[in-house]
Amino acid sequence: MLTPEIRGNEDVLKISNLNVIFHTYAGEVKALNGVELSVKKSELLGLVGESGCGKTVTSLSIVGLLPPNAEVVSGEILLNGKNLLTMTKEEMRKARLKDVAIVFQDPLTYLNPVLTVGSQITEIIATDTQIFLPKLLEHRLDEIVQVENEKGQLDTELLSEKQRLNSAVETGKLDANEIKRLTRNYVLSILRSVRLPHPEKALESYPFELSGGMRQRAMIAMALIRRPKLLLADEMTTALDVTVQAQILQLMKELRNEIDASVILITHDLAVVAEVCDRVAVMYAGDVVEVADVDELFKNPLHPYTRGLLASIPRVDATIDQQSSIGGSVPNLIYPPSGCRFHPRCPKAFEKCSQAKPELVEVSPRHLVSCFLYEE
Amino acid sequence: MRLYEYAIRRLLLMVFVLFGLSLFIFYLTRGLLPPNFAISSYITPRMDDAAKLSVARSMGVATESCPSYSAFVAQQIGCITPLWGQYAGWLKNALTGNWGLTLLPGVSGSDTTWHVFFSRFPYTAELAIAGAILTIVLGIPLGVISATHNNKLPDHISRVISLGGYSVPQFWFGAMLQIVFVLYIRFNGAGLLPGSSALATTCGICFSDPGRITSYSGLPIVDAILSLNFPFFWDSIVALILPAFTLAITSIGAITRIMRSSMMDVLRQDYILLAKSKGLKDRVVIYKHALKNALLPTVTVSGLLAAYLLGGVVIIEIVFSWPGVGNTALVAAEVLDINFLELYVLVTAVIIVLTNLVVDLIYAKLDPRIRY
Amino acid sequence: METNPQSEAVQYGRGADIRHALHLLKRNRIVLAGAIVSVAFVMLALLSGLLVNPSSWNQQNSNVILCWNNPAINWHIINVFNCGGTVYPLGTDLYGRGLLQMIILAIPVDLWIAFEVVASAVIIGVILGGLAAYMGGLVDEIILRVTDIFLAVPGILLAIVLLVVLGRSIPVLTAAVLITWWPFYVRLVRSQVLGEKEKPYVERLHAMGAPGFRILFRHVVPNSIFPVIVQATLDIGAVILTVSALMFIGLTPDPKFPELGNLAKQGIQYLFTAPWLILFPGLTLLFISIGFNLLGDGIRDIFDPRLRR
Repeated sequence: MLTPEIRGNEDVLKISNLNVIFHTYAGEVKALNGVELSVKKSELLGLVGESGCGKTVTSLSIVGLLPPNAEVVSGEILLNGKNLLTMTKEEMRKARLKDVAIVFQDPLTYLNPVLTVGSQITEIIATDTQIFLPKLLEHRLDEIVQVENEKGQLDTELLSEKQRLNSAVETGKLDANEIKRLTRNYVLSILRSVRLPHPEKALESYPFELSGGMRQRAMIAMALIRRPKLLLADEMTTALDVTVQAQILQLMKELRNEIDASVILITHDLAVVAEVCDRVAVMYAGDVVEVADVDELFKNPLHPYTRGLLASIPRVDATIDQQSSIGGSVPNLIYPPSGCRFHPRCPKAFEKCSQAKPELVEVSPRHLVSCFLYEE
Repeated sequence: MRLYEYAIRRLLLMVFVLFGLSLFIFYLTRGLLPPNFAISSYITPRMDDAAKLSVARSMGVATESCPSYSAFVAQQIGCITPLWGQYAGWLKNALTGNWGLTLLPGVSGSDTTWHVFFSRFPYTAELAIAGAILTIVLGIPLGVISATHNNKLPDHISRVISLGGYSVPQFWFGAMLQIVFVLYIRFNGAGLLPGSSALATTCGICFSDPGRITSYSGLPIVDAILSLNFPFFWDSIVALILPAFTLAITSIGAITRIMRSSMMDVLRQDYILLAKSKGLKDRVVIYKHALKNALLPTVTVSGLLAAYLLGGVVIIEIVFSWPGVGNTALVAAEVLDINFLELYVLVTAVIIVLTNLVVDLIYAKLDPRIRY
Repeated sequence: METNPQSEAVQYGRGADIRHALHLLKRNRIVLAGAIVSVAFVMLALLSGLLVNPSSWNQQNSNVILCWNNPAINWHIINVFNCGGTVYPLGTDLYGRGLLQMIILAIPVDLWIAFEVVASAVIIGVILGGLAAYMGGLVDEIILRVTDIFLAVPGILLAIVLLVVLGRSIPVLTAAVLITWWPFYVRLVRSQVLGEKEKPYVERLHAMGAPGFRILFRHVVPNSIFPVIVQATLDIGAVILTVSALMFIGLTPDPKFPELGNLAKQGIQYLFTAPWLILFPGLTLLFISIGFNLLGDGIRDIFDPRLRR
C-alpha cells in the first residue's frame, strides 16, 4: 500500500452532487442521491456497499454508459478537471478509449462469443492507431534494444527493422502490415503482463474456450492496454471462485506498482477491500456515507451503517449468538426515506435525521462521514 | 464431427428425404387411384387398343406380358404391375433422366418431360434468385436500422413495411403493382414497367428491339451479359422488377421482423456494453460486434425462406404471365400431367434441401460455438 | 449478483405484474387495434348469415352491372361506388352478384377453413411433437425424418398435387393446406418440450412415480404451449392467405364459390378494366391478415417473460 506521501495530491476523479434517476414503469427510481467521491492519482479506492446501493450506477455514470431510461439530474464528474457529463458523444468515446477503463463482473457474458479474444483486444488499437503508435514503437524498440544488449549486436533483419521503426518515430507513419505485427506483439506482451498462460493460443481462442480466470485476465488486459488514468473494476472477482479471485487480486497488487492509474475497486466484499485498497468509500442506498483510509475505517468506523456492516461480518472466534446484523431491509428507491436514507434502520437516529440529508464532511484528517451525529 | 463429415451426413439425409418424397408422391399419383388414372391423360380417343396398351406398358402400369388393353382395364391378374414394381421401374427411369412424355406443348418440338421442364426452368430460377437477393438486400438492412433507431421514425416506417409485407396477399400485391406501374404511371406512351412476360417489348423504359442472345448458361440475364447485349439485359432486368418484388415482399417482411428482434436482443447484451466501454466507434460496435450475433437467427430462418420463395413463384408467374415452370405446373394440373408434376416436385425438393444444407454450413461458420 | 438498481424496486409484489401488463397494453395501441380488427372480422363472420342471404352465391343475375369504363385509363375508383348504388355498393362480379355481399359471405368460409387447419395442425403437432421430444430415440428420429420430407416441398406444390389427385373440394383443400402446415407445429412443440423436460419439476414428478404420458400431457405440454398459441394466432392469417392463393390460381371446386381468393380470381382478366374485382377481396384479406398478425404479436409481447421494457 502506498503511503499518503508517495501518492499524488491531485484529484484524478472528482464527483460532486451526482443525482441519477431511472424512469421505469413502476415509478422513478432515485438511484443516486447526490454522490460525492474523489480519487487521487495512483490511489486504489474501494467502493463498498450492498447490492443495489448504486455502486454500478456510479461507475456507469463515469463512463457515460447508463441505460436509455436513466437521467442524470444534476452533478459533475470531473476527470482531471474536465467534466465528463458535458462532453459530446465523440469526446466521451475518446475518453473511454484513452482515459477511463472499466472491467466488468462476469467475463463470460461480457465477451463477444463469436469473436476471438485476440480480435477483441487488437480492435482497441485499431480504433485509433495514431494514439497507440508511439507505445507500439517504443515497446518493440525496447525489445530490440534488449536483444542488442544481450547479443552485443543485431542481425541485418533486426537492424533494418530498428531503422524503420526509428524513422517511424519521427514521421509518425508506418506501413499497415508492420503496424499489424507491432500490434500483435504489443498485445501479447500485455497478455503476459496479466499472467495469461499461453498468450499466443489465447489470441486465437474464443471466449468459451477459456477458463473464467483467463477470461477475466483478458478483460483486464483490454483495460490496461489503453493505459487509462482511471480504472474502474466493477465486482471484478465476484463471479470467480475463491482461488482464482485470490490470483486476480494478487495480479492487481503487482500491477499496481507497474501502472500509474487510479483504481476504483467496486465490491461488496470487505475482505477484498482490506486486502488491496488504500482508501474505502462506503455507499448506502445511493449515498456515500463514509470515506476513510482502509486502516482507519476498520479501526474506527464512524457511520452507524459502517459499524453495522463491520459488526455483521461473521467471525471465526465468535459463536452464532454473537452475530449481529442490521435490522430492517434495503429501502425502496422509488419511495426512498426522507432525509438520511439510513435513518429507518439506524439505532442512533434522531429527529433531524428524517428531515434533512447530512453532508459528507471531514470529521478527522482524511476521514469523511455523512451523519448528523458528527455534525455538531 | 468435423464440418465435412456433417456435410456428408446431410447429403445422405437428403437422399433419404428424396426417396421418401418420391415414394409419397408416387403413392399419391399412382397408388391411391385406379390404375388407368395415371395413364388416362396420355390416352387420346384416337388411339386403338394396341396403342393404349403400349402407353400403359411404357408407363410401367401394365406388365410386359399383359395380353390386351381390355384385360388391363378389367384388372385381371398378371396385368397390373404391383405398386412396388411400378415404383422400381419409375425410379430406374428417373435416375437415367427419362421422365416420360409430357402433355404440354414443348418449346422446340421434343416432348419429353425433362426437356420441357428444363427449357422453362431458367426463368423461374431467375425469378427465385432475384427474389432471394431482394429479400436479403432489403430485409436485413431494414431490420438493422429499425433496431438501431428503436422507437424513432425509421423504426416505425420499417415496422409498417414489415407488417404490411408479410400480411399482404401476394397475388393482390402483384395486381396492385401492375395497376400502378403499368396503368397509371406512364412513360413514353406505355406503362412505366412491363406487366407481363420475361421479354418486355412494350414498356416505357424498355428497348423496343432488344435483339438476340446466345444461350451459354441458360439463364436469360446471365446470357445477355455474356452475349454483350445490353438492351436485352436491360429489358430482362426491367421485366424482373415487379415480379421479383412481389415475390419477395412477404419474406422481406419476415426477415425485417426477425432481424429487428434479434438485433434488439443482441444490443441489450453485456458484451455490447463492454464494446462501447472500450471506446470503439459506434459503427464498429454495430457491424462487427452486434450484427454477427444478430444474423444467427436470420440464417436459421433462411432455409424456410427458400421453400417459401419456390412455392410463391407459382402465384407470381400466373399474375405476371411469367414463362417459367410455375405457370406450367398449373396447366399440368389442369390436364393431369403427372410426369411433369412429379419432376417439378422433386427438382424443387432437391433445391430446397441443398439450400438448407448450405444455410446450415453458413451458420456453423458464423457461430464458433457450434461443433459437430 | 444483482447490480441493477431498478430491478430491486420492480420486484415488489404482484401489483407490479399487473401494472406491467397494463403499461404494455397502453403503449401498444396498435396491438389493441389489431385485436379489435380480428374480433370484428370474427363477429362479421358469425353474423354474415344474417346480413346476406347465404344461398345467394349460387344464383346468377343476367343483368350484370359492371361499371366498365373505356378506355381503361380513365377508370376511377369512385365510379364503383357511384354506379353500383346502394344495392351493389362495390359493384358486381362476373356473375352479377354484389361484390360486397359476396365478400361478406366469403369471410366466414375463409376463417372457418383457417381455424380448422390451424387447430388440427396444433393438435397433431402437440401429439407428435410431444411424443418425439419425450420418447426420444427411434420415435424421435422417425418423426423428425418424416417432417423433413414434408418440409422439403413448398406447400403450394404439395397442395396442387393433392388437389389434382383427390379432386377439388373444400375438404381436400383443407387437408392439403393442413399437410403442409403440420410439420412446423411438430418441430415447434418438440423443441419446446425438449427445453421443458430438462426442468427440475419433471424429474420430481418422475421420482414420484407419475407415468410418462401423464407427465407429458398434463404438465409439460401445457407449460410449453405459449409459443404455440402465439404461432397459431399468427398462422390464421398465413393460412387464409395460402388458401386464397390456391383458390386464386384456380384450384377451386366451383368458380362461383364464395371465397376471397376465388372472388379475386375473376379479376385477373379484367385487371385494367375492372380492378375492383381484385382490389376489394384482396383488401379484405389484407385486413384480416393484419388483424391476426397484430393480435399474435401482441399476445407475445404482453405475456413473454423475457421482454421487460
